[in-house]
Amino acid sequence: MKTKSQRFPNKIKLIAMVVIVLICSAAYLFLSVKFGNPKLFRYAMKIRTPKLVVMLITAFSIGGASIVFQSIINNTIVTPCLLGMNALYTLIHTAVYFFAGAASLFVVNTNAAFLMDILLMGMTATFIYSYLFKKTKHNVLYVLLIGTVLTSFFSSIQTTLTRIMDPNEYDTLLSTLVASFSNINTEIILLAVIILAVLIFVLRRDLALLDVLTLGKDQATNLGVDYDKSIRRLLLGVTICIAVATAMVGPISFLGLIIANLSRQLLKTYRHSQLIFGATLFGMIVLIGGQCIVERIFVYSVPVSVFISVGGGIYFLFLLLKNGRK
Amino acid sequence: MNVEKLVKKYDGKPVVNEVSFGIPKGKVISLIGPNGAGKSTVMGIISRLIAKDGGNVEFEGADISKWKSKELSKRLAILTQSNNIQMKLTVEELVAFGRFPYSGGRLTGEDRAIIERAISYMELEDFRGRFIDELSGGQRQRAYIAMVIAQDTEYVLLDEPTNNLDIYHATNMMKIVRRLCDELKKTVILVLHEINYAAFYSDNICAFKDGKIIKFGTVQEVMTKENLSEIYGVDFEIMEIEGKPLSIYY
Repeated sequence: MKTKSQRFPNKIKLIAMVVIVLICSAAYLFLSVKFGNPKLFRYAMKIRTPKLVVMLITAFSIGGASIVFQSIINNTIVTPCLLGMNALYTLIHTAVYFFAGAASLFVVNTNAAFLMDILLMGMTATFIYSYLFKKTKHNVLYVLLIGTVLTSFFSSIQTTLTRIMDPNEYDTLLSTLVASFSNINTEIILLAVIILAVLIFVLRRDLALLDVLTLGKDQATNLGVDYDKSIRRLLLGVTICIAVATAMVGPISFLGLIIANLSRQLLKTYRHSQLIFGATLFGMIVLIGGQCIVERIFVYSVPVSVFISVGGGIYFLFLLLKNGRK
Repeated sequence: MNVEKLVKKYDGKPVVNEVSFGIPKGKVISLIGPNGAGKSTVMGIISRLIAKDGGNVEFEGADISKWKSKELSKRLAILTQSNNIQMKLTVEELVAFGRFPYSGGRLTGEDRAIIERAISYMELEDFRGRFIDELSGGQRQRAYIAMVIAQDTEYVLLDEPTNNLDIYHATNMMKIVRRLCDELKKTVILVLHEINYAAFYSDNICAFKDGKIIKFGTVQEVMTKENLSEIYGVDFEIMEIEGKPLSIYY
């Protein structure tokens, strides 16, 4: 549903952001590269290009997932990470190693392991969270409380599993568990892109539905939307996005919160196509710009996730205070 | 629309207990009764917002559960009290949502014309670009009614539309309800707490108590001293004003 009044400025804002993203990407790729030496140039590109692609994918997965998740629960300070989706992914990943063993296909072949993780994650998370929402009748406070408990619950099980694991298996597991921006899991890029493309294709119609869902359960039902079924579909999409992002760069807790809220503040619209695009662009700016600073200025001494956590934590407090005052 | 032996239980306790009634077309029907009498629950069930535990709701020749949700939303609209939106949404955009059952997210020229008519019918031209959360209670309620009008349904269900409105806005709301019926030929079913509004503006009154219908009939039939005392458990006096029985209670 488009109205004339808002469309023009938002378009400009989004275009401006695209330009900033392009500048950041260019800076990341070409800053302090020796153009004169083709060998060194190629070497730098070989390292930097996959990282850039992963950051672009991550920005989209986390931005999209956070916006959709917030709209489902009708609250803008909740993100999937706060409710333990990251922890669940880590747990599933560990459990697969634990039960399948280090020699199995799901451990040796990275892509098979990734697919297995996503499959399990999609099923468990959709089940757990849709049940959680239904049972608490979308009460944000309960969901947050239970989510926090679930986070520690999942982490505890995961720790227990690693303790009783065969040390050799733990060794192989650890190398895949501690993904971060300095240690990006590049082997699964192609698969991740395919999965996300399929996801976008399947859920493309649900964007309009999502706009209606934000009116609340009663209004959405009144307008002919099958509420519970739509929520389940969208939740599945959210979990897959989170799984993809976590598999590639590890958990980054506050990124979703920052970029989703910045996008909402900047665009001031209910239209999810714009909100998701905005959040994605913000994510790209934060990640690529941040990584650029980390690599070129701090020379890897501080990982970008530290900045995001610190900045995100402050921003989270700011949002809480601002909402509380209303 | 016919309702037969409707049952709804919360924790084993029946809040709606074998309620049966038929809804006449083209009338304003008010559901009244004390708190917890089951009015809103019945309203929720006949609009498929609440699942029933027993009984049947027959709507236009078929059971309401057999209707496709989308088709039903072109025939029946409901406005509940819980309308808190966290989104930045303008009046015009909200009204446009009324066309969702017809055209999904993509508005046609016809949709736009209908939205325009709904906005001007509710005299919201000056507010069309304003955000919903920046409006006063009365304006917001009018914006929601405009959305219901844009939804273009034969039946309109309103759950306590005068709740939280002052006397001026509440009276205006009731006049709008009357116009929905008289001018736009809709069947309006509403839950009301102010019995005098129910008496003055509706055609039929359906009185609930303890999950059952005590009286169902025309305003004149239901609005008697004895009936009202039985329903609410306090003393009533009935006065005739403009040919309508209005009540005084103390």
